Amino acid sequence: MARTYADSGLSHLTNSLASPIQLETSNSRLDGVPKDLETSIHYETARLLQAAGILLRLPQELVAQSIVVLYRFWVGPDGGSLVEHDSTEQDVAAASLYLCAKPSAHAISPSQTLTVFHYLSRIRPEYSTTAKQDNPSENIDWHLSEGDLEIARNRLYKVESTILRVLGFQTHVALPYSLCINYLQTLDASSSTAGSAVAKRAFAHLNVALFSPQMLYLTYQPSAIATAAIYLAARETDISLPETEWWEVFDVDREDLGFLVVALRSVEGFAEDEQRKWGQRKVPLTVDELRAELERRTMLENGE
Amino acid sequence: MPSRWAETAEDAAEDARRKAEKEEKKRLKAEKQRRAEEAQKVAQQSNGHGEDEDDTQRPAKRRRLSEDGGKDVPVEAARTLLRFETPGWQPCRSVERFDLLNHIEEGSYGFVSRAREEATGDIVAVKKLKLDPARDGGFPVTALREIQCLNAAKHRHVVDLREVVTGQGAAKEDVYLVMEFVEHDLKTLQEDMDEPFVPSEVKTLLLQLGSAMEFLHDHWILHRDLKTSNILMNNRGEIKIADFGMARHCGDPPPNNLTLLVVTLWYRSPELLLGATTYDSTVDMWSLGCIFGELLTKQPLLQGKNEVDQLSKIFELCGIPSEDNWPGFKRLPNARTLRLPSQSKSAQGSIVRSKFSTLTNAGVSLLNGLLSLNPAQRPSAKEMLEHSYFREDPRPKPTAMFPTFPSKAGQEKRRRQATPNAPVRGGAAPALGEIDYSSIFKGREAEEKGGGFQLKLV
Repeated sequence: MARTYADSGLSHLTNSLASPIQLETSNSRLDGVPKDLETSIHYETARLLQAAGILLRLPQELVAQSIVVLYRFWVGPDGGSLVEHDSTEQDVAAASLYLCAKPSAHAISPSQTLTVFHYLSRIRPEYSTTAKQDNPSENIDWHLSEGDLEIARNRLYKVESTILRVLGFQTHVALPYSLCINYLQTLDASSSTAGSAVAKRAFAHLNVALFSPQMLYLTYQPSAIATAAIYLAARETDISLPETEWWEVFDVDREDLGFLVVALRSVEGFAEDEQRKWGQRKVPLTVDELRAELERRTMLENGE
Repeated sequence: MPSRWAETAEDAAEDARRKAEKEEKKRLKAEKQRRAEEAQKVAQQSNGHGEDEDDTQRPAKRRRLSEDGGKDVPVEAARTLLRFETPGWQPCRSVERFDLLNHIEEGSYGFVSRAREEATGDIVAVKKLKLDPARDGGFPVTALREIQCLNAAKHRHVVDLREVVTGQGAAKEDVYLVMEFVEHDLKTLQEDMDEPFVPSEVKTLLLQLGSAMEFLHDHWILHRDLKTSNILMNNRGEIKIADFGMARHCGDPPPNNLTLLVVTLWYRSPELLLGATTYDSTVDMWSLGCIFGELLTKQPLLQGKNEVDQLSKIFELCGIPSEDNWPGFKRLPNARTLRLPSQSKSAQGSIVRSKFSTLTNAGVSLLNGLLSLNPAQRPSAKEMLEHSYFREDPRPKPTAMFPTFPSKAGQEKRRRQATPNAPVRGGAAPALGEIDYSSIFKGREAEEKGGGFQLKLV
């Protein structure tokens, strides 16, 4: 376990990870938001962002990067609080996506970003049908007036600079997607007939991992996440992998692999629970909604 | 079963063998355990309690893999796995932790000052960014790219971005880049030198530049604004590439909608001048060629007054492009207006040889290579480092032997630079096909040509 890397130029393969202190608590929880509610809000905001990414036809890498940036913004006592700032979680998701797309080959304009998020806020929380349609539903008013747009744009820039400041400009995100393909090739599992099936399953797990309440992209390196996704995908598609500890070739030990596999498998149940818990009720994404929800909880507790 | 790891007949035989081995192992294990239990019983009997039982019965954590069965296998040593040591992140610190010392320079991107970090006493360069969210669409993309590229490019010959800090209180939107302080830039330094760098020094400088470019290109970073004023040098003869305001990440194949507003005119490659929107690391290599020439003579190599003049100067020095030496160049957007002198009338070779008469043949070949009109013919940074020019005498001078110079940045304000500035983003990009290059060779057809290409004296 002694071999380490310093500035050997592997930065494009590795991520900054959250420190134990950052994982221990968050600014929101210090502000009195219960953990389960915080988790629900995180999940809901990440879903919102993913839906926006699909509507904006952005590559999944960009969406994934923005979701990771979003989670980085939230963790730790110095992170962004759900209660404190005068912007909504929707603004934070929009700013994160806008910020990540900006220096890439798929830059999006503020008005594109804001319009899509505005539209989604109208149809929330049921995205699945819209994402498949080509044209947004006619009977929903998704237009932003010039004045509203101006206000929203200023808020977008403000939240963008807040995110950058909180992250100390650490917006570099290494993703496991290409590593995953690379590993499948190394294992000789991608060339076979079932190769595309296993790759698809593995990619699905990588996407799902973005939404894990365990914040896997903030706690594990991309190599480990890719390996776990392959392990699970191979089991699911009945592809045989070497009967040795092949994951060690990718510098993942058995313990991490085991944990990640369990974590990946648990996301589905988590998502179902969330759906059941909230039903058609909206997860609070603004400070006001959040306050109302907290009040409702207190009242329930008091048995009213 | 579809995968390579699927079962075959041989596998089945192998399986059977393995199974037998396993059985044997199991038997031995059971035997061993029985003996252990017996021993334990004895022990228990002797000291009268059995709490340790659980411990001994728990199977070993690590699954055994070696298959030389039968014998008692020693527990395998843990294999070493590569561990990534990564930094975390924390909110930007305040610029108040730094004492500003003196002003160094102002550019289109912001102000650079020399400063001392209070906690450590380190001298650093602090660059305050010019921010205008309404104009730039939030945080400027150039600054974002500069920060991302510098964070990704930790290299001995790339300026070190130590951290990004912000202002305090009312000025908390201000952003400053804290970088290592380097005493000189090559541009100012050359202006103050009486003689150009000697050949051995030029080689050392080029090798350092080459290694930085190799690293950047290996990491898919294009600098896109290499010039002597962006190349810093410390008092130990070490070079640091700076100013990544134009830099960006790219892929292979390169994206096809890259901006043309890159690279300061004098260092801009012919394909950019001709309007290519798909280009790659070879634009940096062209700039390196220009810098090579500049280091030899102390004068910028190709000082065009505008795009048209720049291209004409390039053709004067490097020869005239043809379908042979640059297939496909005529399809570039701005090439349509280009009227080339007819093939027969003039010899169109490069005059690098005659212009740099004291340079060795190997040196000329490297310079000619970097200044190839056809981007595909330019050497990569890696190929450049392996060039024979660096292996012939005089050998590259060790950096420690470099002369030292008084640092302008250290105390005094710098002289205004004579180099044209890098193109401004959002400025008026010449529309494709708009630049009229038809005047470049005007009258040339009529000129009487001697043996070779003559440098036009203006």
